Amino acid sequence: MPDEGRAVLPAGTDARSVVAALADEGVVARLYPQGAASGLDPVLLRQLLGEASARGPQGLVLALLVQWATAVPLLADTARTAHAERVLHGALDGRTLLALAATDEGSGSDLAALGTRVRLPEAGSADGVLTVDGTKRWVTSATTADHALVLARHRPGRHFTGFSWVLVPLDAPGVTVRPSGTPLFQGSGVGHVVFEDVRLDREHLLGRPGHGLAMFARHIAVERLASAAWGVELCRRVVSDTARHLATREVDGTPLGRHPVVRQRLAECTARTAALHALWTTSREAVAERHDGASAAVLKATSGATVEHVLTVCAHLRGSDGFAADGVQQLRSEAGLFGIGGGATEVVLDTVADRLPAVLDGLTP
Amino acid sequence: MDARFTETLRPFLPFLEGDPITADTPLRELGLDSMQAIELMFALEDTFGAPLPDEALVEETFRTAGNLWEALLPALPETAAHATEAA
Repeated sequence: MPDEGRAVLPAGTDARSVVAALADEGVVARLYPQGAASGLDPVLLRQLLGEASARGPQGLVLALLVQWATAVPLLADTARTAHAERVLHGALDGRTLLALAATDEGSGSDLAALGTRVRLPEAGSADGVLTVDGTKRWVTSATTADHALVLARHRPGRHFTGFSWVLVPLDAPGVTVRPSGTPLFQGSGVGHVVFEDVRLDREHLLGRPGHGLAMFARHIAVERLASAAWGVELCRRVVSDTARHLATREVDGTPLGRHPVVRQRLAECTARTAALHALWTTSREAVAERHDGASAAVLKATSGATVEHVLTVCAHLRGSDGFAADGVQQLRSEAGLFGIGGGATEVVLDTVADRLPAVLDGLTP
Repeated sequence: MDARFTETLRPFLPFLEGDPITADTPLRELGLDSMQAIELMFALEDTFGAPLPDEALVEETFRTAGNLWEALLPALPETAAHATEAA
């Protein structure tokens, strides 16, 4: 378990300032002890996300999660040009905020169907210009980040070898960013990004052409681990807050928290949270160090179901108080993200189904 | 195709059952979808310590076992490739 007695998250609710302060304090370097391309410290990440979640708004957690769990490691793994290296150093120094633009307009979690295109320069061509066109939706940090890592296709078809990553400055000509307009996830900078004939030199190509989906599959595993860490911390806090609230709310002279049905429901939420914590703990090494996609998929499916159940039960137990501004009902709406973002539950269950024998064989003492 | 290659490939072909892997073995028909092909690519890189060449990152490479092996050969260290040819 993270050491809760020693807070490490700097003050503030703005992702850019928190990222900068953490880098200044050396925490970002501790997060990637072997370098950002070689895994991260999952316990430290969980502590940071847990503290951010407790402080709120939850949009801050989302922005930090994308920056540290996915965008920085993916950039570190694919930065092969001087320009990409400079942006990476900026992110590690806390001066640069990154967005990850994978989900396309229309195709959602079906990444193989995405329509955003990158035209790569012909081999040996003099200009070396690549061109990006398309629309990405629900991009975390879209309105606040400096650069976006954009997943685009350079070839038609669904095969994984048809996709590449491009590092796009969000102030480049042809890039339009619109806030999403959602009242949820304040502080996340979530928005939609349109690329119209965005021309960049080949220094903006990340990794090898054709490795885009492969790199995504590798790094989304760690994002799922981080998401589950956030889920455990959120559930712990909400169950604890609900129990405390119900201990003081009396009905007919007796605190609601002593009612057998309420006790059992809180206990059931605690049991589910404990099970998610146990799964996270046993999965964290395989995912953080080896990018184990099957473990991450099991964890993601479990966290989606657990968070939804716990938040729904606790929101119900809070009664009308839950509808207060920034109350548990808003949190419950935001928690719907756990079953959608980073791969919908159906998508990750497909991954589990593909690996059923291996997952079951792994459940031995 | 050497034994290390076929041993790495076999777990990705759930419908192969006990049949031998030959150059004509169709990968997609035997259960290798696009996302699993990614894992196979990483497994081959781990096994042989070499990435597939850029020009091999096309759908055709993953159509048959023979195509995949032929694509992998240029990436292998010279000694490993010669040993394979000798075998």
